[in-house]
Amino acid sequence: MSKSVDPTTNSDRSSWRLEQIVDHFEAERSRNLRRGRLQQLFQILVVTLLLGGAFQASGLFSSYLGDGALGRIGNFLSRLLPQLHHDRLFEDRATSGSLLYWFYDLDLWLKLLAETVQIAIVATVLGAIFALPLSFLAARNLAPAVWVYWTVRRISELVRTLPDIILALILVAAFGLGPIPGVIALTLGTTASLTKLFAEANEAADMHQLEAVQSAGGNWWQQLRFGLMPQVLPNLASYSLLRLEINVGGAAALGIVGAGGIGVELSRAITFTEFDTYFAVLIMIVGLIFVLDLTSEAIRDRLTGLEKGA
Amino acid sequence: MLELVNVTKTYGQAIAVNGVSLSIPAGSMVGILGRSGAGKSTLLRMINRLAEPTSGDVLWQGKSVLHLRGSTLRAWRARCGMMFQQFNLSPRLDVLTNVLVGSVSRRPTLQTLIKYFPAEERARAILELHALDMADLALQRAGTLSGGQQQRVAIARTMMQLPDLVLADEPIASLDPANAETVMSALSSISQERGITVLVNLHSLDIARTYCPRIIGMAKGKVVFDGSPDQLDAAMVEKIYGRRKSTESALAPAVSTTLSSIPTGEVA
Amino acid sequence: MTAGSDLIERATLIAPNSVYPPWINRFGRWICWVGGLILFGWMCHNLDLRLDVLARGFTKLGVLTKAMFPPFANGGELRIVQSLLDTFAMAVSGTVLGIIVALPLGIIGAKTVIRNPVIHFAVRRTLDILRGVPVLVWALVMISAFGLGPIAGVIALALADFPHLSKQFAEAIENSDTRPSQGILASGGNRIEAMRLGLLPQVVPVMASQSLYTLESNFRNAAILGVVGAGGIGFELEERIRIFAFDQVAWIVVAYVLSVTLLDWLSSQVRARLV
Repeated sequence: MSKSVDPTTNSDRSSWRLEQIVDHFEAERSRNLRRGRLQQLFQILVVTLLLGGAFQASGLFSSYLGDGALGRIGNFLSRLLPQLHHDRLFEDRATSGSLLYWFYDLDLWLKLLAETVQIAIVATVLGAIFALPLSFLAARNLAPAVWVYWTVRRISELVRTLPDIILALILVAAFGLGPIPGVIALTLGTTASLTKLFAEANEAADMHQLEAVQSAGGNWWQQLRFGLMPQVLPNLASYSLLRLEINVGGAAALGIVGAGGIGVELSRAITFTEFDTYFAVLIMIVGLIFVLDLTSEAIRDRLTGLEKGA
Repeated sequence: MLELVNVTKTYGQAIAVNGVSLSIPAGSMVGILGRSGAGKSTLLRMINRLAEPTSGDVLWQGKSVLHLRGSTLRAWRARCGMMFQQFNLSPRLDVLTNVLVGSVSRRPTLQTLIKYFPAEERARAILELHALDMADLALQRAGTLSGGQQQRVAIARTMMQLPDLVLADEPIASLDPANAETVMSALSSISQERGITVLVNLHSLDIARTYCPRIIGMAKGKVVFDGSPDQLDAAMVEKIYGRRKSTESALAPAVSTTLSSIPTGEVA
Repeated sequence: MTAGSDLIERATLIAPNSVYPPWINRFGRWICWVGGLILFGWMCHNLDLRLDVLARGFTKLGVLTKAMFPPFANGGELRIVQSLLDTFAMAVSGTVLGIIVALPLGIIGAKTVIRNPVIHFAVRRTLDILRGVPVLVWALVMISAFGLGPIAGVIALALADFPHLSKQFAEAIENSDTRPSQGILASGGNRIEAMRLGLLPQVVPVMASQSLYTLESNFRNAAILGVVGAGGIGFELEERIRIFAFDQVAWIVVAYVLSVTLLDWLSSQVRARLV
């Protein structure tokens, strides 16, 4: 917008006649509108092209979705649901139509579910242990030198761009099938993301408390122990719990590529087209994650509440 | 004997402390007066090396402390107890642990990291707290205490360092008058009964007159007054606090103390 | 030592519990630590996380890593870039579908729009439950329903996204300032007009920013979905790992990391302009 002839700021606007002001305003307005419209048109064009290309590439436009699709989905959905008989619901697992017949391998699934939770816990604990010292290096106010801070931050970003599953795929090649590659993949991801979150908590800490320990003759470790840790610990615990929630979902999914836990059973059920089994296992996973989320949310609320109270 | 020889500290272009020379005999209690930004804080922080002087020398018992490094530097810092305006306790740790922090420099690092302190140190901490009437609060979280109580915990922490010297940086600026008196008389008895040198930065002229046998006035990084309270006349006060305040100058510090005793966001 | 025991004696008279804390205070913390450590060790044991297994694995990982250098595409550059684009297309389509589903649900789920607590609660809880399903799990279902190919991936992404997006949209609406809408209602506008003129200008930038975040995370997720058969870069990667062509794996990983970084940067630029 050209300011030089703007009637509202012009010092001698008293000399402008009303029509002139209106004319000027209208001209300016239509100019702006035209420019805005062109810009909008261009943006819409770009977005449309992008979406069109994306839809085309991912097969959303193809005839693939034609008449058979709905029937296929319907058929599939009906196969997800188990065949239950109301009068035989609580019979043993040999009786077709009972709940136990549906959940026919409940003992194994519970065991695998427990393994999933353990993978998540071990990976979260290890990740938090590794992330703690790294977070001191990745916090601007604690890092011994700028290049240390910069390097640790960049590496943690780099690791975070790699999804757990892809790490797990590579690790399965090295460690073989089983929970170990899952634990390592999740530990790596957890370390990277917790390093960043912990470092941000460290950066928000009150440095005066560290200075007080320093002035009492405390060394670096003692400053961290008595000046920093009491301040940030509730936050770190809260972040770790949040990460544990994410890791349980991650550990469940990792089994699909053979990295242990309940996901192994999911991928087996799909391979053998036991869709009702898949659904049963899925219910268990979702239930587990739901319960864990609620528990951890309650704990986290208490942790952050403590922080505000003190 | 603490000696400062022509100590100067500059931050880029700004001169915080400008050629200060002082000698302070052991066991004396010295009040340092001056407006905010007069360089009082920087002066104290250069003595325990939280700030490095740009030039000049700081000597304790005739030996320079400026070349101290690593563990000897930490030992020197432990010998200079420091107190702060905002107490700088760890609010989440209990009072006793906060006091025990004063002993970390003479304890093995690993033991302190797991918060292990032997009975003797704990006993010492309790006795220091008891001397300040705080022993029954030893197991409470420091964050739950009032400002005056927190500053007394800070005194106990400082005493845990077994210091030769106490550097108190505006210790009463956040406290109400009653608590300010408690803290100042505690500092005063530390100096008189234990022979510890006390350097205390103050805003309030009246407090300085009451408690400090020797007063140093600073303005714009320089020492403009050094003498006993009765030598501190109106003209000198003007010199310390600037000319513009003229007749009200003696009143102004008292006002600023009252103002700063209003709690500043600290949830006690 | 006599001075020390004297100190202790005097202090014990003043505050016995502080000098010699009761055993629960002294050892309680240690018992928790040891208990936690035993639990952790037991879990590691269950997961077969033994040092010799780890050592063997890391040795092999070292060999594989060595095989990664120098990264080499073996003439597959075009195909890899093409599959990166496919993965991006999958991410965009999935995000758009997710947004389309999430918009009405977000509005219904917002306390400030639908006052009925039953509907609000039902919508929110259902979304909470759906959020527990990992995207890979959706993908397995969709691949068995639609067969191998990106369309299954797109629908899986949309299914995994819409519960998150609905919640974020609902929160954006709830956190918006209600005064502009009230002003429009007060000056005679109806509820639709109040929404269009009072609410939309506030929430659209927030929602757009959240949608872009979703797109960023979907690019990562779309790569994962390729592993289970939705095509794209994940499929290429899985294939190369299966034949132990780790120099090509390295090439793909580098290309992938670069494109993720590029997309994140672009998206953060747009988001910065939005808010």
